[in-house]
Amino acid sequence: MNAVCPRLFEVEALRDGRLTGAELVRSRNHLAACAVCAREARALQALAEALRSPMHGAEADELHVRRERTRLLAAFDASLLPAPGGLAQLHDRPRRATGWLRSAAAVALLSLLAALAFVLRPGRSASSRAPGAALVSAPEPVTIRADRSARWSRQVEAQLDKIVLESGALSVRVDHTTSQRRLLVILPDGELEDIGTIFSVSAEAGHTTRVTVQDGSVVLRLHGKPALALGAGDSWSPASSPAVPLLPATPPAPPARRNIKPTPSALSAPRRSTPDPDPSADFRAALLAFNSGDNSGAATSFAAFLGQYPGDARGEDAAYLRILALQRAGTPGTAQQAARDYLSRYPRGFRHAEVEALLR
Amino acid sequence: MSSRGKHAAGRRAPTTSDPELIRQLAAGQVGALGELYDRHRTALRSFIGRATNDAHDVDDLVHATFLAVAESAQRYDGRDSCRPWLIGIAAQLLRRRRRALGRFVSVLTALRGSSRSASDPRSVLQARSEVERALAGLSEAKRITLLMAEVEGLSCEEIARALEIPIGTVWTRLHSARRELRQAVDIEGAREP
Repeated sequence: MNAVCPRLFEVEALRDGRLTGAELVRSRNHLAACAVCAREARALQALAEALRSPMHGAEADELHVRRERTRLLAAFDASLLPAPGGLAQLHDRPRRATGWLRSAAAVALLSLLAALAFVLRPGRSASSRAPGAALVSAPEPVTIRADRSARWSRQVEAQLDKIVLESGALSVRVDHTTSQRRLLVILPDGELEDIGTIFSVSAEAGHTTRVTVQDGSVVLRLHGKPALALGAGDSWSPASSPAVPLLPATPPAPPARRNIKPTPSALSAPRRSTPDPDPSADFRAALLAFNSGDNSGAATSFAAFLGQYPGDARGEDAAYLRILALQRAGTPGTAQQAARDYLSRYPRGFRHAEVEALLR
Repeated sequence: MSSRGKHAAGRRAPTTSDPELIRQLAAGQVGALGELYDRHRTALRSFIGRATNDAHDVDDLVHATFLAVAESAQRYDGRDSCRPWLIGIAAQLLRRRRRALGRFVSVLTALRGSSRSASDPRSVLQARSEVERALAGLSEAKRITLLMAEVEGLSCEEIARALEIPIGTVWTRLHSARRELRQAVDIEGAREP
């Protein structure tokens, strides 16, 4: 059809919202009656739909998304932390390798000097107060980075790795697959239990001032306040406490039902009031079971989470925590099966090396 | 509402509103940034991926956009969805990058005596489909304007405000971009229903 309508130009004007009032009404009426203009409108719509169709290679894989998310949150968190002490350097990109290597060399030198002083010091004990130390690499799979002003000590016992933070900032990385000890940070006004792998904590003047979780999860228990579960990407400060997910004030008894969920009264944040299915609530519930010592329940809940939300960004965390829960529950065979499941889902996951070690 | 607006409507209501998340972000809560990232990453990445010819830049531009959002959170105007705002910030970053890249390539061109244009997409073209190829053939200014309008559902006024250009320039770019695309691509929508 080669027919031409003198009002054809109005189709695009209509689409772009350039017509108003009587002009708009007249143009719409014309469009309803004119086959040529209607065809032009369909062509413009088809063009728009072609543009909206998914672009080749536009969507990144889940692992890539997780890495980019972690990189973004670490960069944002670094922008909030004070520059001295270098906590912000922990997650800088490889492209900043020159600065990082310079810092690493300085840290290595300080570590060497600190280790030398430690070895030569008479009457050393398990407690290692280290004001001013920049980095301590313990023989256990725990790495602690402290800012220069931090006042802290560490005591390693058979079942417990206890860090006492009086003031300043610490950044801690824990590998739970090779350490069976609980890691507890004693704060001036409470305590923090690590369940994951990377977190930072600060305290000043007898109070906890900030907790940031880069990976995994922690539980923060402050005196006289409800316990808080913080997951990857979460950050807590005294001013922000109402916005983070809440847990009951005291550790709950092992629940009768395995697939527990926090009670509505314990979940006062607005995000918790969504209708089911709610992957955030289910993940938190599994985490709550894990933290309460209901390892079998946690393993079941994490498995249910993986089944119900296979595309959720927390899937890798759930798969990993499920392995830990099964290990703690004393079911090594099932834990190994869960480890194989993790590796099949996330062959290049963040913790694949740790999980592979379980299967050897 | 223009016919484009329907595309942007009808999305599932989020748990915490965008304005609330941005308020939390302005208070320094990293979790809010994580939630905004989860909510808008796909759309933003898609927009930037289409808008730029260099696929290697996409992640850095997404990253830069969210960090710019964090910096500007105090100035958010409070609209229900922050997606148009995010897209506007991304478009600004793309424009700045283009200008910086343009200056850099101009210097290189002068040094090498090459006549190749700074905006020539051929060297880094990643597109596979006919539409993607045609889109990549547009100038970046036209491409960004067209994507903001047809894919993101922004009004011409919103685009003009985000790109800091007169609204007449938006209309001109849209018309020109559509004409060029239709010359390059056989659009089937013109058939009788």
